[in-house]
Amino acid sequence: MAFREINSKMIEATVVPGQRLFSQRGAMLAYKGEVSFTPNIQGGQGGIASMIGRRVAGEATPLMTVEGSGTVLFGHGGHHIQVINLTGDTLYVEADRLLAFDGTLQQGTMFMGSQGGVMGMVRGQVTGQGLFTTTLQGHGAVAVMAHGGVIEVPITPQRPVHVDPQAYVAHHGDVRNKLSTALGWRDMVGRGSGEAFQLELSGSGAVYVQASEEKL
Amino acid sequence: MYGAPAAGPTVFDPMTLPSDDNVNSYTFCVELKGSQWFLQKGKMIAYYGQMEFNGIGHGRLDRLVRTSFHSPLHASDWVVAEGSGKMLLADRAFDVNSYDLEDGNLTIRSGNLLAFQPSLALKQSIVPGFLTLIGTGKFVAASNGPVVFMEPPIRVDPQALVGWADCPSPCHHYDHGYMTGLMGGLRAMTGLGGASGEEHQFEFVGAGTVLLQSSETLMAEQATGMVPHEPGVPGGGGVPGHGGQPAGQPRLPGQLGDLQRRFGL
Repeated sequence: MAFREINSKMIEATVVPGQRLFSQRGAMLAYKGEVSFTPNIQGGQGGIASMIGRRVAGEATPLMTVEGSGTVLFGHGGHHIQVINLTGDTLYVEADRLLAFDGTLQQGTMFMGSQGGVMGMVRGQVTGQGLFTTTLQGHGAVAVMAHGGVIEVPITPQRPVHVDPQAYVAHHGDVRNKLSTALGWRDMVGRGSGEAFQLELSGSGAVYVQASEEKL
Repeated sequence: MYGAPAAGPTVFDPMTLPSDDNVNSYTFCVELKGSQWFLQKGKMIAYYGQMEFNGIGHGRLDRLVRTSFHSPLHASDWVVAEGSGKMLLADRAFDVNSYDLEDGNLTIRSGNLLAFQPSLALKQSIVPGFLTLIGTGKFVAASNGPVVFMEPPIRVDPQALVGWADCPSPCHHYDHGYMTGLMGGLRAMTGLGGASGEEHQFEFVGAGTVLLQSSETLMAEQATGMVPHEPGVPGGGGVPGHGGQPAGQPRLPGQLGDLQRRFGL
């Protein structure tokens, strides 16, 4: 069940009985048919343990379960929407950027420190991801929000990609990321270029970058 | 040294500006040839040619206002542009679009309407905060994100609604299934889970078209004017209304508050 992009700020999802999807609360614009919207206590999938995990990690965004039969239009805050289709790999994204995703995807929480130890935690602070980030794995579609349009930059083993941490939206695939710093004496005396921190992504996969340095 | 400026900004002059069409998605160009347009105050950003902008409601324009303007107390927010030339309209970088009505009717949120031809009659809708345009002509409206047209039956988030055409006025629809039953009771008592924010929609039925904007960001509402204070007029104050939550009564933590009360839970 994929999402259909109606325009850059609105998507249409088809809901069929037996398949549910999750969306951010309050992001429904309109619907046809008999569809119910239930606020999700657990903030996503998994049992109570996952819920507590998300609460602790600060990745518990208010989600709602969308069930029934019909079509639903989603959009939120005038943000641009990028639909990402996952085919078995893992998408790393901040929970508050999630607009909607298929119920078939496995939702998890990842500790930033598990990728690069202390530097991973520093990276989380700089990118605004915090110490934790949300992962979605499996086969299905995810609608991600961004400020300004989104471009997809492929990452190949020969060509790592450097991204401004504030413009980073999400990435998927087998990707290692590390924070590269170019701090010099100029930054110390306040004459820096403003681009001292960059996110370096290497491996194979894709990174999504928004055309703005504004956070959601 | 730099080569030809291939993809620079497009430069318009009075000849190349489109006539009664969009310049880009945020700007609309109106061509006046001795004709008149109504526009909301402050939405003109530039013009070429000889034009006059007159506040309405006095003197010369009395007849015009009488025939095509039916919310008299709201008239001070509008001006009439007349003359000849081209005029650019825009509104805070919102998406702007024009719509043609042919002997039709369309109801639109008051803040979204930018300008209209005097061949259309502007009337206050009996739905508060909305205006109805009747007749044949062109009007310009703004929206947050492109407008999407849908056909009823459909239920629409109140904030995403821009307007509707040719179909009966909407009614309120409430989804509160999750607030009932055992889990609903637990939810109500503990406040766990909160509310989905989608309990309330506008429901459209019948034949027609519903206009939606692509986000839930509302545009500032324009006053549509008062309605006569008489019984039978919605919002007219014929019957003293009830307030929302009584003041001075603190809400317990975990209560869904007004929402529950409204559903009688």
